[in-house]
Amino acid sequence: MNKALTRVKAAFGNQQILLLTVLVVMVAFFTSRNSVFFSNAVFGNILSDWSPVVLIAIGETFVIISGGIDLSVGSTVGVSGVVGAITMEGMTNHHQGQNLTLFVGFLVTIGVGLLVGIVNALMITKAKVVPFIATLVTMGAGAGLSIVFTGGDPIAGGPAKAISLSVPDFGPFSRPGLVVVVIIAALGVILHKARFGRYTYAIGSNSFAARAAGINVNRHLAKIYILSSLLASCAGYYFYLRLGSGAPTSGQGGELQAIAAVVIGGAALSGGVGNFFGTALGALILTTVTSGLIIINVAANWDQVAVALLIAAAVLLQQYRNRVRK
Amino acid sequence: MTLGSQVPLYEVRNASKHYGSVVALDDVSMKIHAGEVVGLVGDNGAGKSTLVKILSGAHQPTSGQVFLDGVERHWKSPQDALEAGVETLYQESGLAPHLSVSSNVFLGREEYIRGPLGKLGFLAQKKMDRIAHENLEKVGIAVPQSNRSISQLSGGQRQAVAIGRAVSWAKHVIILDEPTNHLGARQAKEVLQIIKNAKAQGLGVIFISHTLPHVLEITDRIVCLRLGKVVADAPTSTFDAEKLLGTITGLIESK
Repeated sequence: MNKALTRVKAAFGNQQILLLTVLVVMVAFFTSRNSVFFSNAVFGNILSDWSPVVLIAIGETFVIISGGIDLSVGSTVGVSGVVGAITMEGMTNHHQGQNLTLFVGFLVTIGVGLLVGIVNALMITKAKVVPFIATLVTMGAGAGLSIVFTGGDPIAGGPAKAISLSVPDFGPFSRPGLVVVVIIAALGVILHKARFGRYTYAIGSNSFAARAAGINVNRHLAKIYILSSLLASCAGYYFYLRLGSGAPTSGQGGELQAIAAVVIGGAALSGGVGNFFGTALGALILTTVTSGLIIINVAANWDQVAVALLIAAAVLLQQYRNRVRK
Repeated sequence: MTLGSQVPLYEVRNASKHYGSVVALDDVSMKIHAGEVVGLVGDNGAGKSTLVKILSGAHQPTSGQVFLDGVERHWKSPQDALEAGVETLYQESGLAPHLSVSSNVFLGREEYIRGPLGKLGFLAQKKMDRIAHENLEKVGIAVPQSNRSISQLSGGQRQAVAIGRAVSWAKHVIILDEPTNHLGARQAKEVLQIIKNAKAQGLGVIFISHTLPHVLEITDRIVCLRLGKVVADAPTSTFDAEKLLGTITGLIESK
């Protein structure tokens, strides 16, 4: 009896196995309610929903492990996407080639991300504004500017080729989807195997110790916030390719999805804890719930309730584990 | 002792530190020789922390000089002092609890894998685990596994790792700010033994503590601060517990 209990506890200790179990149970449940769920088309759809969420969630993972928070990622998706879209619409109107337009559009989009990241980094490391407030400021400014730039309507009229790139031609993956997988895998390796990740954990765990060990804490934090915004703008470009337009509303609520994915993945908002696979699975669970609820005909509004319940379950589990450890 | 005639290993000369109109340190001089343990004592607010910050490179003195091996140094950051071989163990824990023992030992001094990936910052974790274990053993600390996280260790083990890290990296001087605080009697004894080993290796040790029996047991010389000034600097053999307490509180004027 006691042995079984320890075994259960050990299993619960391994967050990834638990998350995989949750995922499998969810897939089984949704399939049992509507067999259409278990199909390449639905999995492809889930993966293309997952790609932008996991992009910003991986950035948020670095931020949260370092002990901070980035609320601006959602609105950065929107504002970078619309600025890129306006650029590409303009270039298309001036009869520029599609490939060139897409390339310049990409640079402009991530340029906006870079700008937001620099503003966040300066506020946090130079002006010593707490991350919550600093990124709340850029979150509001980004969302407002997206509306100002577009009047609230999506910007289409860019290269016609864009949307054809997002066809899933690698199993359930599209080409942009594969690029996302490569990007996040590289970041996962950096988080767990390289100095950049090690310093991220060290700062979140004990920034005093990190500083005493000679780590330039401010410079590292600046890089983390810039990385987070850059990934958000990559998600903005991803939405552009998927929809063929830049909408001020894309990315709305993205910060909450990202934070939810990171927390479900086992990270602690107090810093020092979190991991790549947890976040990737957390994001997959979120997008699976969203798709699954649509397919089994539950009103879309329940989606947010389901996400809230998942977060609550993750936080409760974390507190339980902390108590077990003590 | 014949130490007095040699060039001091580490020296601060006529250091003052002002915070606005507050004078935290007033014309303080202090010397540490190789293989010597110097106790730095004083009541709260006497200026010990300020002096430690100047010695460790965290703060710059308003006026005064710092010499390492007879050469004047201007620390701009703790990193400068670390690279020159001056290690500091701070009172607030200097360890990252979520990281492993070896990651903490190597924090800021990581070893990288060979080749281009190493240049990109990829870590040679196994190598660090092994060397951390060896280095800690060398200074007299038996940590079960160097890949365990610090949060899984007891308070005494954590402190031992923190001191072991500082001792194993220190090339010249090691500054220990309250290293025996919050430790049980046996653990404190182990820490004092590590300090004796460091002294035997020829390191200069600055030992800051409120625990006067430890100061009397481990140090060769005691420097006492009061209200930002040095009020005593004498061999430990000239003190007993009563006199040391009297000097700290100012009930005995000994300068």
